[in-house]
Amino acid sequence: MLSGLLLGMSLVPALSAPDFVHEVAPILDKHCSKCHMDKMKGGLSMNTEESFREGSEDGPIVESAHPEKSLLLERITTDDEDERMPPKGKGLNSAEVEVVRAWLQDGAKWEPGFAFKKPAYDPPLRPRNPTLPAVVDGRANPIDRIIDHYLAEKNQPRPEPLDDSTFLRRVHLDLTGLLPDADEVTAFLANKSAGKREELVDRLLADKTAYTEHWLTFWNDLLRNDYVGTGYIDGGRKQISGWLYQALHDNMPYDQFVRALVAPSPDNEGFANGIKWRGTVSAAQTTPLQFAQSVGQSFLGINLKCASCHDSFVDRWKLSEAYGLAAIFSDEPMELYRCDKPTGKMAKPAWLFPELGTVDASQPKAERLKQLAALITAPENGRTQRAITNRLWQRLMGRGIVHPVDAMQSPPWNDDLLDYLGFNLRENHYDLKQTLRLICLSQAYQSKTETFGKAPQESSYVFNGPYAKRMTAEEFTDAIWQICGTAPAKFDAPVKREASGVTPTMLNRKPVWIWSDTNPAQAGAKLSLRKRFKLTKVPEAAFAVVGVDNQFELYVNGQKAGEGADWQQPSSIMLRQHLVAGDNEFLLVATNLGSEPNLAGALFHALLKQDGKWAELVSDGGWEVSPTLPDSNGNFKTPPTDWKEATVIASNPWAEATNAVGSQLDAMSAPQVMVRAALLKSDLLMRTLGRPNREQIVSTRPDDLTTLEAMDLNNGAILDQRLAEGAQALLKKFPSSAALASYVWRSALSREPSSDELQLAMSLLGPKPDITATQDFLWGIFMLPEFQIIR
Amino acid sequence: MQPLSLDPAQPRRDFLKKLSAASMAALMARAPRASAEVLIQPQATADACIVLWMAGGMAAPETFDPKFYQPFVKGTPVSKILSTFPAIDTAVDNIKICQGLEKIAKVMDRATLIRSAVQPDLGTILHSRHQYHWHTGYVPPQTVAAPHIGAWMSRVLGPRNPVMPAFINIGQRLEGVGESEELKAFTTGGFFGSEFGPMNLPYPADALLAVRPPKGMEPGRFSNRRAFFQKLIDRTPHRDLMSDYQQESMLRSLDSAHRLLSAPEAKAFDLELESKETREAYGDSRFGQGCLLARNLVEKGARFVEVTTEYVPFFQWDTHNDGHEVTERMHREVDAPIARLILDLEERGLLDRTLVVIASEFSRDAMIEGVPGSEAKDQSRAKSDTLEESKHYGLHRHFTGGTSVVMFGGGMKKGHVHGATADERPLIAIKDPVSISDLHATIFTAMGISPKTMYEVERRPFYATEDGNGTAVKEIFA
Repeated sequence: MLSGLLLGMSLVPALSAPDFVHEVAPILDKHCSKCHMDKMKGGLSMNTEESFREGSEDGPIVESAHPEKSLLLERITTDDEDERMPPKGKGLNSAEVEVVRAWLQDGAKWEPGFAFKKPAYDPPLRPRNPTLPAVVDGRANPIDRIIDHYLAEKNQPRPEPLDDSTFLRRVHLDLTGLLPDADEVTAFLANKSAGKREELVDRLLADKTAYTEHWLTFWNDLLRNDYVGTGYIDGGRKQISGWLYQALHDNMPYDQFVRALVAPSPDNEGFANGIKWRGTVSAAQTTPLQFAQSVGQSFLGINLKCASCHDSFVDRWKLSEAYGLAAIFSDEPMELYRCDKPTGKMAKPAWLFPELGTVDASQPKAERLKQLAALITAPENGRTQRAITNRLWQRLMGRGIVHPVDAMQSPPWNDDLLDYLGFNLRENHYDLKQTLRLICLSQAYQSKTETFGKAPQESSYVFNGPYAKRMTAEEFTDAIWQICGTAPAKFDAPVKREASGVTPTMLNRKPVWIWSDTNPAQAGAKLSLRKRFKLTKVPEAAFAVVGVDNQFELYVNGQKAGEGADWQQPSSIMLRQHLVAGDNEFLLVATNLGSEPNLAGALFHALLKQDGKWAELVSDGGWEVSPTLPDSNGNFKTPPTDWKEATVIASNPWAEATNAVGSQLDAMSAPQVMVRAALLKSDLLMRTLGRPNREQIVSTRPDDLTTLEAMDLNNGAILDQRLAEGAQALLKKFPSSAALASYVWRSALSREPSSDELQLAMSLLGPKPDITATQDFLWGIFMLPEFQIIR
Repeated sequence: MQPLSLDPAQPRRDFLKKLSAASMAALMARAPRASAEVLIQPQATADACIVLWMAGGMAAPETFDPKFYQPFVKGTPVSKILSTFPAIDTAVDNIKICQGLEKIAKVMDRATLIRSAVQPDLGTILHSRHQYHWHTGYVPPQTVAAPHIGAWMSRVLGPRNPVMPAFINIGQRLEGVGESEELKAFTTGGFFGSEFGPMNLPYPADALLAVRPPKGMEPGRFSNRRAFFQKLIDRTPHRDLMSDYQQESMLRSLDSAHRLLSAPEAKAFDLELESKETREAYGDSRFGQGCLLARNLVEKGARFVEVTTEYVPFFQWDTHNDGHEVTERMHREVDAPIARLILDLEERGLLDRTLVVIASEFSRDAMIEGVPGSEAKDQSRAKSDTLEESKHYGLHRHFTGGTSVVMFGGGMKKGHVHGATADERPLIAIKDPVSISDLHATIFTAMGISPKTMYEVERRPFYATEDGNGTAVKEIFA
């Protein structure tokens, strides 16, 4: 042993306490860092003292009472090939082992505050209400307060504000999936009021049908829901479409929504139940494991797919944890399978974050699921709150605060922003529309999109404005239908669309059944019934619902308007095209069928819209009846002179038909809401444009237009057909090129054409465009990046 | 994403961190390899691959693996039926195949015949699951969208000719047919994205429509439309977006799409340009025309082409009754075009570097479903213990114990047999069984793709063969 001067050498006797920083740390770094610092092999991280003491999946590696028995020491000294640490290479030499041994005997002390690496990011569990930075320049939206501060710290300029035209188009698509129509574009651009953008956002969010049918796509993707698909063929899969549609329509609070899906009832169990495949499947794909994966991904942004086969190699989730969730759902006790081989261990139903509470494994399944649902949506579960608000942010801003959105274990580019949005959602009682509103009203959203010279580098992301987004398959399809007015009449989704027109409670008049005074009438008896009235002008809309026992024809001003042959199904008849200003006449020619005298009657209820208000005309004692019949064209050879007052039938034996009248009037008076692509099964064109096969959960769609997709846009039959139909429809409304061009620019691109553009369009269309020129004009517009990329 | 893989000596857990997403341009070409990569790609013996897909479960004993021939004799116990066609000689001394495939018999001296391909026991033998497995190398369900082997080739190797789509799928309708959802599930680029997905041509006669202006549009109008579009781009008031990469990328795709239409390669899609003699030699079935189309597409630079007789439940090779009669028809449908395809490729000097594979999702037996010891589920619509009517005569039950796969060209041995099945029921593979993984490993290796080639999806390594474990069957390489 040396004594005396120790010049720069730290030669310490083996049995005295080693210097952690200079002697122990280098050894740990040299031999252990590859697996136990950036990574957590065997569950052991040596980054910090805390994680070091927590130990591995085999428990603590330091035995404080008996340091000689420490697992750490065992592993670095054993001869067992399978047990030794490090597993490869020469390992620690005897001097190094002695340093470690001495250190352990000394209590394995660390230098306070010492850390090898920044600890791997572990996302916080609980919600947090961050202190907001001060308001700058009057930009008071909390999102702007946070981002303005963030940009200032990074010495980055604020992105430029967005012009009205681009904002109008983007917010329409983002909130409802539809373009602003041509008239709205003109009105919005001319509107000088300061609050017009806020008013627009509120109006869009209040349009329940448009909102629902847009966000239906987002949720269908995220909840693996579709109207057709693998697994339906043998009943192994079930839709949730009806329930989902209604939930969106009613703006069901998100926590309630999630609880309903996690602890389902028959109309929404399709998500939780997964896809049951015929035959045997790998252990990681049984429906309970699917449940764990789906719930983990969709609501928590956690990927449990890796942990369904083995402890994850890339994050903290263990096989037993994935199985724990699965076992909550499973009808039977579950054995753990590792890489498809049975382990002999049984899974214990357990929730992923016991800090928030537990699921009582002894309870029956329905109760376990309820408990799980409560834990996922617990007010203290910030992860659920952040996961959904991150997704909504990504939808609107083009890139998540955490990216990718299903990797919520990654650090956000700003945790104040992420935490605030999550907290804010909870404060708003989980009203997702409030989150959307907050984002849309921020200056951050109302900024120009970032542009790049080449594909952005994800690793060094700094927020500098929203990302441009590609129009989805549904948005593209809807846009064409909307612009041309050519949407189909039928749809595939088994959902109830709103018919909100003139509801029965709004009607003031009540029609009554009428006939002549000979009732019961003879079998085969015919009767003319008429009502004469005056109109100051032709109404904006006019239709009637007519029911007659048994048959009728309706003539309006001498023109046949409709007929009916089944008293149980009243007929809905359009009237407007037959009406005139001045004197009008309804003439019903009714027939009573049967084999002997029976009760006959006629019921009539018309709605006419003038100056935005509905007026009603109903069958009552004011009608006139005559046994004289007109010819088959509804004309009288000689006008009858035997018109008598109609007899009102006191009883109502046709009650059901009477009740149906109200709802038919309602349906007819509802504003015609276009059928949306989201309600249809996917077709070749939509698939080409990125609508996914929802056999797996999809949370983002591809960003780019591929060559194969471009080929389909170039010459595919479906698009070609739609453009032909569209051209035809548009030419009826816009026979002049200038008007057509202005309309198309406004409705497709939310702006007027420049004079250059207009000149180009005119040269293609000519003064009076034909169908092919119009079709090609439309194609050119729809292929523009300005059309397909949402800025 | 870059193709990366593991050093086989390293534990799988230590796989490498990935580079960030590559740009569109890099995706189209064979991406450069990371320096840390240790994967050795095999030397390719083929540049293109044609899969002739006998969809529906082609019975091996009725085609390439004849067994004891039982002619139709009323009253014969069904248990005696192994083959309903007698064996015929081929151009190779020790290889016999079934009567009905005389033309193919003449070119068997260019073939490697694998008689021992096997499929896993999935509990029940379903077309959908085994088709998915055959086409992607993975048994469904999967947690990610598994790519078709054609997509793998497109992704790893890129196109041979940048104008020609790398992956083309001929003869299978994907809409309005039975199990169409299940078909679409594997006819896809999967997580690679649709850039690597198939160009679908269900009707070979209409293939030219894929490379023509839309129906009814004359070429003049088509080019005027394009010119209008280009001028529209030029006149956009949004000058600041002209160099935006997303915009450029989109315009580039539209450009590439247009290029094929005006390229000479587009002629390869037009079967009308072929002589009457050629078209007759390939036969007038959709499959036959599809083979001719495949020949042309490969000649003009396609990387992977699949031609199928088409899966239609209970039709074509999916014989659940009248097996003999229907199979006789199928013989006629496939014999001439397959033989002619081989000869034409050879004549054009393409056969050596084109791997042609005849395969099906499973085989058939008269009596047993699945593998011995499995519960024999009833698969025959014409149930009988003895032959009474023609509908009883044939192989009607799904069988995964032993299947035939025929390979031509692409570096495979000529006139060679690999493996064997039993001569008595059950006709399971008794020598050198070849799993799906190993079959794919063989095909990929021939194309110069290591079976361990891996891409990362959702931070999970996803390999060209399941878990990277496929081993190429070395014995069949020349």
